Amino acid sequence: MSEGYAVRNLGVRIGDQLIVDDVSFTLAPGEVFALAGASGAGKSMSAMTPFGLSAGVASGSAMLDGIELVGLSEHELSRIRAEKIGFVFQQPLTALTPHRTVRQHLQEAAMQAGGAKPDKAAMVVMLEAVGLSRPDERLAQYPHRLSGGERQRVLIAAALAHGPRYLVADEPVSALDAALRGEIMALLVRLCRERGMAMLLVSHDLAGIEHHADRLLLLESGRVAEAGPAPQIATLPATDYGKRLMAATPRLTEPLPSLPETGEVLLEVEAAHIHFPKPGWRRGRIDAVVDASLTLAKGETLALVGGSGSGKSTLGRAIAGLGPMASGIVRWQGETLPPRQRRNAGHRRLIQPVFQDPLASLDPRWNVADIILEPVRWLVPEDDQHERAKDLLEEVGLPRDFASRKPASLSGGQAQRVAIARALSADPEMLLLDEATSALDPLVADGVVALFGRLQRERGLSLLFITHDLALARRAAHRIAVMEAGRIVECAAREELFANPQAEATRRLIAASG
Amino acid sequence: MKPALFLVALIALVALLVPPLLPYDHISIDWDSVRVGLFSDGHLLGTDDLGRDRLARLLVGTRVTLSVALAAALVALVIGVAWGAIAGWVGGRVDEAMMRIVDGLYALPFMFVVILLMVVFGRSILLVFLGIGFVEWLTMARVVRGQVIALKQRPFILAAEAAGSPARATLWRHILPNVAGVAVAYLMLTVPHVVMIESFLSFLGLGVQEPLTSLGILVNEGAEEMDMNPAALLLPGGVLVLLIASLTVAGERFRDRLADAAK
Repeated sequence: MSEGYAVRNLGVRIGDQLIVDDVSFTLAPGEVFALAGASGAGKSMSAMTPFGLSAGVASGSAMLDGIELVGLSEHELSRIRAEKIGFVFQQPLTALTPHRTVRQHLQEAAMQAGGAKPDKAAMVVMLEAVGLSRPDERLAQYPHRLSGGERQRVLIAAALAHGPRYLVADEPVSALDAALRGEIMALLVRLCRERGMAMLLVSHDLAGIEHHADRLLLLESGRVAEAGPAPQIATLPATDYGKRLMAATPRLTEPLPSLPETGEVLLEVEAAHIHFPKPGWRRGRIDAVVDASLTLAKGETLALVGGSGSGKSTLGRAIAGLGPMASGIVRWQGETLPPRQRRNAGHRRLIQPVFQDPLASLDPRWNVADIILEPVRWLVPEDDQHERAKDLLEEVGLPRDFASRKPASLSGGQAQRVAIARALSADPEMLLLDEATSALDPLVADGVVALFGRLQRERGLSLLFITHDLALARRAAHRIAVMEAGRIVECAAREELFANPQAEATRRLIAASG
Repeated sequence: MKPALFLVALIALVALLVPPLLPYDHISIDWDSVRVGLFSDGHLLGTDDLGRDRLARLLVGTRVTLSVALAAALVALVIGVAWGAIAGWVGGRVDEAMMRIVDGLYALPFMFVVILLMVVFGRSILLVFLGIGFVEWLTMARVVRGQVIALKQRPFILAAEAAGSPARATLWRHILPNVAGVAVAYLMLTVPHVVMIESFLSFLGLGVQEPLTSLGILVNEGAEEMDMNPAALLLPGGVLVLLIASLTVAGERFRDRLADAAK
């Protein structure tokens, strides 16, 4: 019986559609193998279908330790999964059952292949192995008490509880904060090395896996684009697709691209404080933003970088008059902008937002032309609106006949371009980009970032670029402000920030992004 | 959804258009043929104890039941959507207060409220409408409020604010059209429920009053003579079952289609 996992000519169908075609790879014991590619390339389908964990039907061959998986019944597959394989999924919250404690999760996981019920000491060891602090307290906790990173550690502990020989990790860090991604990925790889486990890793983030995977397979629309040692493919891809994917993934090591000249200062924010009442009946408040000051010049891009919960979106929305601000001053060319409720059309026109989730930011019942023209209706009344909607579609790189479409018929990237066209229709001076590319596929996101650059050059726009991705900020922004726990801890030109980081938070972010 | 809706429409049309064509109305007494059976001369479904044409009474009863149901459901729709939308949109203390009122009204026993209304204002078909609408809007308000709160957090509402859209315009142009589907789906599920409540009240003698009739009254009368003349129970009962079943199916299909469209 041969050890290892060998996939040969794997095909996956859903209905009549061939999702994955002719994919082959092998996974030796103790190896970390990554399946990468843009979304819809069939990465997860290739990884999950042989184990019976997708809607697809597999053809070809997938041999696990000498057992052919393709064609096995659900019952037999379930036994093999329980005995040999641990799974780690993307969404750490939904992958844990809310009403069960960490202890119950670990017990269930350990006993799935008929193992003995683990005692407390054994479970503490499991949690220590995944680097969870205070493991004995954690056992009694429910998932909602844990942070995203902690949940993912519990999931990993549960995936390993029955001592599997293989680990299948489907985008294990994509839902986590940037600062945590490298750490969790390193943990997974270390656990594999220590235990001689093999890991099949699925990821869209090439920069995130190039240092962790041994070998890499790039998928393009369900077919193998190229395969080989991970560092080689990640740095010197042979195919055009690989090159595009590489170029679309920002890295701290890449040369700094040039950015347009900037003009005089437009926006000044002074000592902004924002707080919210605590939820429920408790008294007290949560300080979301504390004493934040920043400036933005004409034609300049300022990136606001920080982990989730650092207050960067809250600050951005307050500046645009879309959220509360307790105290502080927002000035536009020296003139103070009034608070949210008293901003008039003239104020609103200046700063237009683009949000993270492109489909949720378009009213599903409106057509594209109406969506694009909404600001025109209230802010800059004029004639011949329909032509204007089509001109804007063209400006953001969409066909003119998209005007009559409904949002549901758009892809994520197209929907985001429509949202950008809507922002442009107000003829703004500044765009607030609130994680505007982080919900998009790397190739699509790269196109949208390039669009922002072009719009900035052509229209002289100022951009407030809110992101968790430091490498992206380095690529796109003149200056970078780092936020942590509601404070702007450092703000500097990009060259300076990386050459000479001042704040502890900045150094940590740089380390995590490298 | 289509066959079910078609059946409802057919029943409604027959109940509306056929009675004027019949030789007898639902009130007049045919002294020559009291309590005759099915397929008698001139009386297709026979007559009751008082010599009134059963077919005419069945059709008029269906018409009354349907109109009570429709009116009560519309009352529920208007009050429920307005109440729920305002509570959800304004939020905070206003929401808190409005929803506690709803909770309070929920706690009142429904039959008690209707009987009280009857005692205080006397019996009238209008009160039956109001009494039923009064109960049904509570759930509608909760459903709509939940939807509005979920919609309010969607970024397109924030984008509308950035586009300079005044709050009232956002409510009319973004929130209500997106709530409408859910409200209509819920309305379609409310109608069969109201049909049942109306029939129940009339069965107890609290609803529609003689000589006007409704499906509930006919079922009640039919139950008294079911050993001698089962058709008197089965016919109005059958129409009632058909109506409720097809309305429920149509409502559920519509709701499922909305859920699919939202994906």
